[in-house]
Amino acid sequence: MDEQTRQDLLKLFESKLNQAMRLYLETCSRCGVCTQACHVYASMPQAKYIAAYRAEIVRRIYKKYFKKQGELMPSLGESKSLTDMALTELYEAAYSCTGCRRCMVYCPFGIDTQMIMSIAKLLLVGAHAEPEILTMLADTSIAKGESLDIFREGFLASVKNLEAQVVEKWKAEAGETVIPVDKEGADLLYVALAGAHSIIPAAAVFNAAKENWTLSFFEAVNFGAFVGDPSRTKLILNRIVGEALRLKVKEVCICECGTAFRVMKQLSGKQPFKVSSVTEVHARYLREGRIKLDKSRNPEPVTYHDPCQIARNAGIIDEPRYILKHLVQDYRELAPEPIYNWCCGGGGGLVALGEDTLDFRMKSAKVKAEQIKKTGAKTVCTACENCHTQLSDLSAHYQLGTEVKFLTSMVADSLVK
Amino acid sequence: MAEEIKADKSMDLKGLPCPMPVVKISKGIKDVAVGEVVMCETSDPGALADFPAWAKTSGNEILQTVQEGNTVKFYIKRKV
Repeated sequence: MDEQTRQDLLKLFESKLNQAMRLYLETCSRCGVCTQACHVYASMPQAKYIAAYRAEIVRRIYKKYFKKQGELMPSLGESKSLTDMALTELYEAAYSCTGCRRCMVYCPFGIDTQMIMSIAKLLLVGAHAEPEILTMLADTSIAKGESLDIFREGFLASVKNLEAQVVEKWKAEAGETVIPVDKEGADLLYVALAGAHSIIPAAAVFNAAKENWTLSFFEAVNFGAFVGDPSRTKLILNRIVGEALRLKVKEVCICECGTAFRVMKQLSGKQPFKVSSVTEVHARYLREGRIKLDKSRNPEPVTYHDPCQIARNAGIIDEPRYILKHLVQDYRELAPEPIYNWCCGGGGGLVALGEDTLDFRMKSAKVKAEQIKKTGAKTVCTACENCHTQLSDLSAHYQLGTEVKFLTSMVADSLVK
Repeated sequence: MAEEIKADKSMDLKGLPCPMPVVKISKGIKDVAVGEVVMCETSDPGALADFPAWAKTSGNEILQTVQEGNTVKFYIKRKV
């Protein structure tokens, strides 16, 4: 690595050094409580998968360049130079961490390893050493935001083709638009994923609840966040914020995508609309009596996997359980305390990297597979696309015999007049 | 009706979860030589937006888009 590159990367490092980050980097007492908290270490016990070990790689670079001790006495301060070798270690640390923050809830100091890993990811982006697929996906999302006119008509036609499948789940009233798009003055903007499975059941539930809603042109997922690039994250986020402002909606409802919800909820800033997950909205419809569900359609044992970005990292824990109380006859918890639930093993961009990470994802989530098996559930439902993909892969790999479903799909399939 | 373009490689991307259709085409296009054509079929409503955006950022060219019911066929020429 040449000196100019190193200096450029250190500027990126410095841009992440707010008060909280400095606290995380200076506080670890190496107590080891985080060791068993990581699903990767619990499934594959190797030192490199300990949360504190991952953080230590970043911490030593911090000591070398941002603390007097590392500058004056590098050999005593356990400091580490920022080299190509260090970048390789940062890559392994960052992309073996799913950002689930289970280690954080165990850490007596509340050290946020995911936040420390965001430095590692940013340095990798700065060095053009990040997974190029994630950057490509982020750039594709940004290009969509810049070229709405190019795909507008095709998207509208495509959405129109889904209407019959929505009506199969919930009959439309006379004069009702089954999937409204670009509707100014709608109360709620629903931001889905690219697939029909993310649009059809949600549309049926909105129509059943007589919601004044409209579908976003854009997909919810934020690949800028997966790759740890704040600039790209913001550009992708701004497409949805701009659309919500243009349509003057009161609420932006994010589909079953954990990262999309956390980014929208926590990074969109103060706006004239509120941000909700689709799970929160469905729980609200049930509380207000706007929809009713038929439990008898779900007699088999069901468990619910809390997506880390929605539950542990964004606090949506009670709402899915409220829905499940009305939805299934035999509900079984995965963990006594949902906040300590195991990650599925697919977050942090790992699922988006597809087959390249499949072997690691299966081995590193062995504890998740065992946790599911213990419940005896026939169905695992969840509220995140990444989790759904990963849990389906786990079910096949470990022959769990479980069917993985989206919570929204189960709600839509259990609607009663 | 436009004449169907001859493809050098075909990919069935129907029913894949997000973001696999774009990931698969991004990798799959590297299996053909520059100037050759990949035909891929998807069932994602969002593909009509995703694929042109991907083509724009990756420097490849969508020669033809054919919508048939709930599926869409893209004929993509590798340019880079």
